[in-house]
Amino acid sequence: MDIIEIENLSHRFENGALGLDGINLQIQKGAFVVFAGPNGSGKTTLIRHLNGLLLPTAGSVQLDGVFVQHDLLRARRLVGMMFQDADSQIVGETVYEDVAFGPENLQLDRSQISQRVKRALMAVGLMDFADQSPHLLSGGEKRRLAIAGILAMEPKVIAFDEPFASLDYPGVKQVLKQILMLHQSGHTLLVVTHDLEKVIAHADRLVIMQKGRIVRDGRPSEIVNGIETFGVRSPCASLLGMEVPSWLH
Amino acid sequence: MAALTTVGFRSGTSLLHKLDVRFKLLFLILISFMSLSADFLRLGLLSGLLTVLIIHSRLPLKSGLRGMQFFLVLLLLVLGARMVTTPGDPIIEIKFFSITRQGILSGVLICWRLTIIVLLGFAFVHSTRTFEIKAAVEWLLKPFVFIPGKRIATMMGLTTRFVPVILNQASETAEAQRARCVENRKNPLYSLIRLGVPLIRRTFERADQLAIAMEARCYTEDRTDPDLVATRLDWIALLVILIICGLVVSI
Repeated sequence: MDIIEIENLSHRFENGALGLDGINLQIQKGAFVVFAGPNGSGKTTLIRHLNGLLLPTAGSVQLDGVFVQHDLLRARRLVGMMFQDADSQIVGETVYEDVAFGPENLQLDRSQISQRVKRALMAVGLMDFADQSPHLLSGGEKRRLAIAGILAMEPKVIAFDEPFASLDYPGVKQVLKQILMLHQSGHTLLVVTHDLEKVIAHADRLVIMQKGRIVRDGRPSEIVNGIETFGVRSPCASLLGMEVPSWLH
Repeated sequence: MAALTTVGFRSGTSLLHKLDVRFKLLFLILISFMSLSADFLRLGLLSGLLTVLIIHSRLPLKSGLRGMQFFLVLLLLVLGARMVTTPGDPIIEIKFFSITRQGILSGVLICWRLTIIVLLGFAFVHSTRTFEIKAAVEWLLKPFVFIPGKRIATMMGLTTRFVPVILNQASETAEAQRARCVENRKNPLYSLIRLGVPLIRRTFERADQLAIAMEARCYTEDRTDPDLVATRLDWIALLVILIICGLVVSI
């Protein structure tokens, strides 16, 4: 069953530039989809339509059968979003407080908030940091905190915008491990990246974008060859005709 | 970044840590007002009380004083200004200036009062989590329907959260400019503009990203209210503080 249905979606920015041009896309519940493409290809613009941060100029986006613009609050509860710059999305003065931000906005009572925050912090392994100031965390820990903030909202879909940008190797492994755990727990995952190498081994679908359009869409192993013509670097192993290994092994 | 953490909450189990934030805020206001009109004897009593509290709460006075260097410079300036501008019996005379006995006494008195108020603030900030302070502000502003208490509390929280990030950004920008020999420029205004413009632009960009991230997490002003519970301990502390205030006033 499709959890996301996008039909003929176009988006034009205020300055007249075309961000998305006639996107048609269906994503099944529990899928793990990677979106790749060069800068300005429309990847971030596309995922920002999923929770109504941007609204379509033309076309429509449906989440679980309901148009996004008809119920923005529902869309934001269903689709959690992790942004590229984790520092800019952390709003709390302590780790606990940051994770509680979303549930407080949902007007849950204190005991429910406390339960959700503890569960989310346990899931990302940051329980011991609950009273710590977020700006003292490492890059990988900040991303995990951002994930905890999303988990506390209990979404069904989680969209990651460049989750591995400016992370060291241990940081990439930490975040990747977290992403895989979320997939195993039944979440639908959308990962936007131009660095396929780190995540492609785990994805079950790859969507390549260029100039606001989808130019390739299919199983990674089937479409990964030749994607360099669209401004995306192929994983090293696939260039050598091998299966792309996981970064966790 | 580490230097920025010298002023902030330190976890603990002392009496100060256990008190409800609203009571602590009330005590802070009461004692501050009292110290503004106190003489040497009363200030001595208040200082004794404050010292006991700081030692009992194991507050990091040493690192706190390091963080208050600029305040100590301000105190010296106040003392100096008082010493030379207050008329009275001169002790030392240098050309047009004369340092008077009354000036020294008045300067010391004012500096002592200011120090007590700042140390009270230090004890308050170190024993109270920022979200509790935010909650107390929200609670205090609730009766004033024309003041958006929740919005003010959110703004306070975001400010405390982002001051270290902005300072870090400023230091990174300054370092990047030093790496390109900005120090060779003699005009300080040039360096200031070169630092200020990118910093302000980056800060606005961050604010924009933050607003989008908050929207993605369903931000609303109608959020779950903070949990504030007054215990018997808070009422006992209030009684004790009122008795002390009464004693100090009646001396």
